Amino acid sequence: MTLPQTTPEDLNERAAIDRSARYPVMFFFTSAAAWLFFATVMGLVSSIKLRVPGLWDACPFLGYGRLFPVHCNALVYGWAMQAGIGVMLWLMARLTRSRFEHPVALIVCGHIWNAGVALAVFSIWVGAGRSIPLLDFPAWIWPVLAISYASIVVWVIPMFQNRRNKLFYVSELYLIGAAVWFPWIFFTANLVINKGSAPVMGAGTNAWYLSNLIYFWMAPVAIAVAYYIIPKISGRPIYSYPLAQASFWLLAVLAGWTGFSRYMGGPFPAWMSAVSGAAAIFSLLAILATVVNLMLTLRGCTKLWEYSPSLRFTMLGMLMLAVWALLSATSSTFVFGKNLQFSHFLVGMDTLAYYGFFSMTMFGAIYFIVPRVTGAEWPSATGIRTHFWFSTYGIVTMVVTMLVGGIAQGGNLAQWDQIFSASFVNASAYVVGRAIAWFLITLSNFIFLYQLALMFLGKGRKSEGPTLLHTEPGEAANAREVVGIH
Amino acid sequence: MNSNNFWKLLGGLGLSFLFPWLFLIVIPFIGASNAEPIPYGEGDEIAGGVLSYPNKADLRHGASDYGRQIYAAEGCSYCHTQVIRPTYAGPDMWRVGWGGREEEDGGFARETQPMDYATESFAPLGYQRIGQDLSNVGHRIEKAAREQQAQAVEEDPSNAEHPITARALMHRHLSDPKGLDPESGMPAYLHLYEESPYGEGLLPTPEAEALVDYLLSLKKDQPLPASMRE
Repeated sequence: MTLPQTTPEDLNERAAIDRSARYPVMFFFTSAAAWLFFATVMGLVSSIKLRVPGLWDACPFLGYGRLFPVHCNALVYGWAMQAGIGVMLWLMARLTRSRFEHPVALIVCGHIWNAGVALAVFSIWVGAGRSIPLLDFPAWIWPVLAISYASIVVWVIPMFQNRRNKLFYVSELYLIGAAVWFPWIFFTANLVINKGSAPVMGAGTNAWYLSNLIYFWMAPVAIAVAYYIIPKISGRPIYSYPLAQASFWLLAVLAGWTGFSRYMGGPFPAWMSAVSGAAAIFSLLAILATVVNLMLTLRGCTKLWEYSPSLRFTMLGMLMLAVWALLSATSSTFVFGKNLQFSHFLVGMDTLAYYGFFSMTMFGAIYFIVPRVTGAEWPSATGIRTHFWFSTYGIVTMVVTMLVGGIAQGGNLAQWDQIFSASFVNASAYVVGRAIAWFLITLSNFIFLYQLALMFLGKGRKSEGPTLLHTEPGEAANAREVVGIH
Repeated sequence: MNSNNFWKLLGGLGLSFLFPWLFLIVIPFIGASNAEPIPYGEGDEIAGGVLSYPNKADLRHGASDYGRQIYAAEGCSYCHTQVIRPTYAGPDMWRVGWGGREEEDGGFARETQPMDYATESFAPLGYQRIGQDLSNVGHRIEKAAREQQAQAVEEDPSNAEHPITARALMHRHLSDPKGLDPESGMPAYLHLYEESPYGEGLLPTPEAEALVDYLLSLKKDQPLPASMRE
């Protein structure tokens, strides 16, 4: 079975959609990449600070307790959500064949979102943070973020309703899910926490928010991208459509129960963390089914991975998603979780989610989308390759050192008759790994930001074919045939 | 597909998420918001005229509430937890001083309970455990100050005139943690202190005083009423 042939009318229509998407989508991507660079630098500085606690003690702005939340908030709201919103809008427009009706309104709302993120990050930095992971900013900032998110993403709904084709794409399902669920969890978490009448439920809701942000926003957007890019580049239909739908609904029903296993044995009724742990284990099923479905779609043409940057990033992102879901499920059990739950492992897991699977997939999408909306090709294949390998080495270093370091630290903490500082001393070598990881990632994202800025300014390479990762004469021509689907 | 299917899809998305939202968040939240202090039973009272758990007189106000804000703003809970897990989930209770006063100090160690956080608007359970758990840091510092004082007096009886207070020790923990424990991973919060106008030493700012008020108030080991102990 092959996909229907594209006609010249189709190509013209796609080009028109891409033209209408150019300015808002490029705005979201470029400002997201700038936030990403900032966030990775903060990740590096905070890791150094954690390794050498006495460094810069007199400066209030360089304490780990401020740098780390600054880093996390910039990474999630500045980069991840913004890049996700850009991808979501473009993907929905392409899938439903609708143009961007109000690009200027989107850009205005995008500025409000950026202002909200800047206020959030700045207020944490100057000492108005609340130590509530990813909701650290003062209470008055969340409506700014909520309103600007809603006024951007609401445009997805008319696109979806006006679509002309009868086919119901899996990506559409995931995108609508992400668009609808995020405001729900964001409102709930902020209302519960800011009401302040149930302090322990506030902390529990925060844990629930952290987990659901990943399961109900990052994972759906990333999976939507994969379900678009992998069939598109390989030129094959999704391996199993029913499996894709079933795993979507499985995730939808289960993932909302996750989160409380972050505080196993915490001051909650015991059933809460038990249910959350079980939900994380069952959600693994949904994620694995999705990833296997995508891998089977690619069966027999994995060589494309060598050429297409989009495919390479997306595939790696999906594999990381499977690893994340697996680790998340294992660490939700008492056997593994009780020693790991307050250790470095947690940082490794959160970074694996924010950078490992979500950002990698977003890079894949951005490498695919930007040449289409700007009408120019990426300036340098070497740049893309460097971005890929440095990011990969970075995130793998991060996850491995934080996992092993987490086991070491957790093991030391569990030795209750030993002196406490042993856990800090023994784990600090692994924090060096974390700093090295952020250094590699920062480097890779500097290249990414530079290339994206060139594309934003219209300085991309004007060329017949796309920028592929291998440029041997014969091979490249061959690859262009299979990859160069615009 | 027509727009009708959009509403069906939305209904499905809503329904799938409604259950966890309702049963995991909303209902427990309403329940916890309406929780009332539990009175001690007949013959079960603890000393000092405390009538219920949690003690209503402990409600945070003034400096210690300001200290809570400083604690949050400096991101203390990214490295310090405030949760003592029951032994099935970790050996927190066995670490000396973490679970509260030990038996020889006239208390007993116990895991933290939801109502222990009734004095805060958000329970700072924490993110990682880079540093010590702070659930009962108030007790620990008081005990350490007593011990240091006893040792100082033993060395030189004239030291009795200048007692080492828990407050002073807490300030030292914040301004010079490495001086107390060379292997400590804690940074010195020097921006909360000023150069003393009287020569050597540091002068705490109002922020540092408030933070110390808060930290010394952290004692999550009030004896539970019999109805909770079973």
